[in-house]
Amino acid sequence: MELKDKLEILADAAKYDASCASSGAPKRDSVDKDGLGATNGMGICHSYTPDGRCVSLLKILLTNFCVYDCQYCVNRRTSNVPRARFSVDEVVKLTHDFYLRNYIDGLFLSSGIIQSSDYTMEQLVDVARRLREDHQFRGYIHLKTIPDADPRLIELAGRYADRLSVNIELPTQDSVTKLAPEKSVHTIKLAMGSIRARLDEKDDHPKAPVFAPAGQSTQMIVGADASDDRTILHTAQTLYGSYKLKRVYYSAFSPIPQSPSSVPSAPPPLLREHRLYQADFLLRGYGFTAKELMPAAGNLALDIDPKLGWALANRAHFPLDLNRADESMIARVPGIGLRTAKRLIDLRRLRRIRWEDLSRLRCSLKKLAPFVITADYKPAQGAASSDLLRRNLADAPRQMNLWPELQAA
Amino acid sequence: MMAVRRAVDTFAEWREAARELLVHGIPPEQVTWSAPHMDDLLAGGDLFTGAPPAAEASDNPSIPPPPTEPPDEPLRPAPHIPRSLMEMLQAAACCRVPDRWAFLYRVIWRWQQGEHDVQSPADEDGARLHAMVKAVHREEHDMHAYIRFRERPEEAGPPRFVAWYEPRHDVLPQVAEHFVSRMGKVSWMIATPEASVLWDGHTLHNTGPLVRDAADLEDTGEALWLTYYRSVFNPARLNTDVMHQHIPSHRWKNLPEAKIVPQMVSEAALGARKVGQYEAVGQRKGTTIPIAPDDAQPERQQPSKLDECRRCELWQFATQAVGGEGPKRAKIMFVGEQPGDQEDLAGQPFVGPAGKLLDRVCEAAGVDRDTIYVTNAVKHFKWEPRGKRRLHKTPVQREIEACHYWLDKELASVKPTVVVALGATALKSVLRTANVTLKDSLGKPLRHEGRWVVTTYHPSYVLRVPGEEAKRAAFNTMVEGLKLAHDLLHRPTETPDA
Repeated sequence: MELKDKLEILADAAKYDASCASSGAPKRDSVDKDGLGATNGMGICHSYTPDGRCVSLLKILLTNFCVYDCQYCVNRRTSNVPRARFSVDEVVKLTHDFYLRNYIDGLFLSSGIIQSSDYTMEQLVDVARRLREDHQFRGYIHLKTIPDADPRLIELAGRYADRLSVNIELPTQDSVTKLAPEKSVHTIKLAMGSIRARLDEKDDHPKAPVFAPAGQSTQMIVGADASDDRTILHTAQTLYGSYKLKRVYYSAFSPIPQSPSSVPSAPPPLLREHRLYQADFLLRGYGFTAKELMPAAGNLALDIDPKLGWALANRAHFPLDLNRADESMIARVPGIGLRTAKRLIDLRRLRRIRWEDLSRLRCSLKKLAPFVITADYKPAQGAASSDLLRRNLADAPRQMNLWPELQAA
Repeated sequence: MMAVRRAVDTFAEWREAARELLVHGIPPEQVTWSAPHMDDLLAGGDLFTGAPPAAEASDNPSIPPPPTEPPDEPLRPAPHIPRSLMEMLQAAACCRVPDRWAFLYRVIWRWQQGEHDVQSPADEDGARLHAMVKAVHREEHDMHAYIRFRERPEEAGPPRFVAWYEPRHDVLPQVAEHFVSRMGKVSWMIATPEASVLWDGHTLHNTGPLVRDAADLEDTGEALWLTYYRSVFNPARLNTDVMHQHIPSHRWKNLPEAKIVPQMVSEAALGARKVGQYEAVGQRKGTTIPIAPDDAQPERQQPSKLDECRRCELWQFATQAVGGEGPKRAKIMFVGEQPGDQEDLAGQPFVGPAGKLLDRVCEAAGVDRDTIYVTNAVKHFKWEPRGKRRLHKTPVQREIEACHYWLDKELASVKPTVVVALGATALKSVLRTANVTLKDSLGKPLRHEGRWVVTTYHPSYVLRVPGEEAKRAAFNTMVEGLKLAHDLLHRPTETPDA
């Protein structure tokens, strides 16, 4: 099989994976050095595909042969898909050639499970080792780890990779048991725990050998099982707290060819995925807890963003006097982000905040109007019911417009 | 009023000029700034053909005469400009707007006058300054991201890789640095309509403007990239708005993948009512993997019975259940509260800071820790989120009761003579009642269900209690408790049960 044909199959198989971040690596450069590659901690998206996802890494599978039978996965063993397998050399060369042309920031390598977990993991580690040691490659490397693999292999993976990930795939143990019979949440958690233990060790002993400096991440598929957003966010929160994950990625389930009847035949609204990312950001950046965002069972509202949803459900905190409130509360106002909150605090040291300042800071004025007090402004809607405000502030119903091309077809 | 003229082309020149003007106290209204080289570039020269600018800028007679001498006024001290502002000014200076130097001087003048909110985006000038900086950073970012190198044949000599780009702001120098650090000793060239840089593997060379042909080469590597780009696209998620939002339209014309986007979009739209990728996958001959489900299941660490416990809800948030550890026939059993953050990861009781303290207590009491069986009243870690950490949360009576099942099993199998309850939760659990306080039971051994029960602090309490004095006292209490437990091993057990 030609390299091009393999690439077609093995990149295709990776398109269900949402994560493509290349941030968080320590600064490295190749000035006056042999080899190639630099990282500046930020990560760069080098292109965007028409599905709106970025391309920052060469994201491929080493092979899509797989002995597992995960129902949501196109490469499950019972799926009748074309199969291919890269050699270690081929992956190394592709990464190198793409990197030189500035198509990518590095490699994100995952794999179907062949022969055994340990064998598969050894192959993944070997690619990373060859890149780092034989080719002095200093770009970003993200390895998907196989949870069942020997912890020593995971440790070795962390030596070469910037980031490791263990995918939890589904938010509850029951769903995993049902849809991914060969996987177990127990092993997945243990694998995440062992990575975190190594990361802690590295923090405590800075001179210890490098271990996954960009931390670990995971991915959850949304809409393949019946779990609601509340369950998903609570699981995410548990994972963040327990395993110091850098990110949880949410990937709306894509129906797959010859789909088994155990998974739905229609995808969830992409907007649901988007709302989960917004809520996730509130967990990580704003100090919200999952319980605050989702006090009851159900899904996040699609017509309003989760922060606005929280504010409407917690009117007692508002309107908030921007000249008095502390930074973390200001950041909880709909339409004001973390950076703006900080800027307002900085500005407050110089003078009192006025309505015009909010406009210059490019806040979403319509959204924040009912929730703030400034030196020259008090909201008229102070007493308006949350239902009424919601009707005024909600995005116009436009879910169908998310796929204008589909509409046109 | 004296009008002053200044001609500058670079930030360094502007900085010199601005400093001099500030020292002489000349307000922005009196200064006319010109940028001989840039004005030419903006006025003449076709950006797309890369025709060189009209003439040597500084010799152009249409340029105003050299600056007049500033008026004789008392000199002011040179301004102290904070680094953050200077960095913003330097970045904004790369922004191609005709009045950039005048604007920057107004900002720095206002700062000098004590108007420090000129640096805030809430100020009118500040907002513009921030916007200019943002535009420049965006341009740098885009150039880092969307430059595409093509490979030249090896026999053609350096540069091995060439790229064409049309930057909107003057960011080529800083962008060149980025690629120097990225490409190592590989030689490359970036050509733009205004200027070009060549990296020979060791040194950067600035060269003049070039035409696009310089970078229009056949490169077989590009075909693989297009294959990859096409294959990672998931037609079921077609969402071109986001794509366009991230790559502005003027960038697309120089991106190789732009050529295949329209076809990808229309194919996806046509096949939209089917499952997006069905067709692509269906074209090839597929393979299922003939393997029995049992063989696919690899050997791995199976959860223990304890791990499968669902007697309360705590299992959901813990990594694993943590059972007891120690000799199977230990005479003394420590019962703690519950595993903590470290124990939850390790799957062993008392391995964290509290465990270390427990070691010290044993040592001080002269008891060999290895002879003691150590366990917890509750087997799953209970916690609540606090930022990105897990904060220990005391288990409630219901959870303690649910976990009796496991503690009873341990007590029945180890058959300790003395149980040391570490802290209130352990005490409640061991005595099976909520109506008991740590304070009343400290140092008073009890008979319970045919065993001695000694109560002492939990090691975490010793770690947490404020004040050196209190810490030492609590530590000693624990040591006493352990000594007592040790003595009880040899005491007759006729005392009636408590």
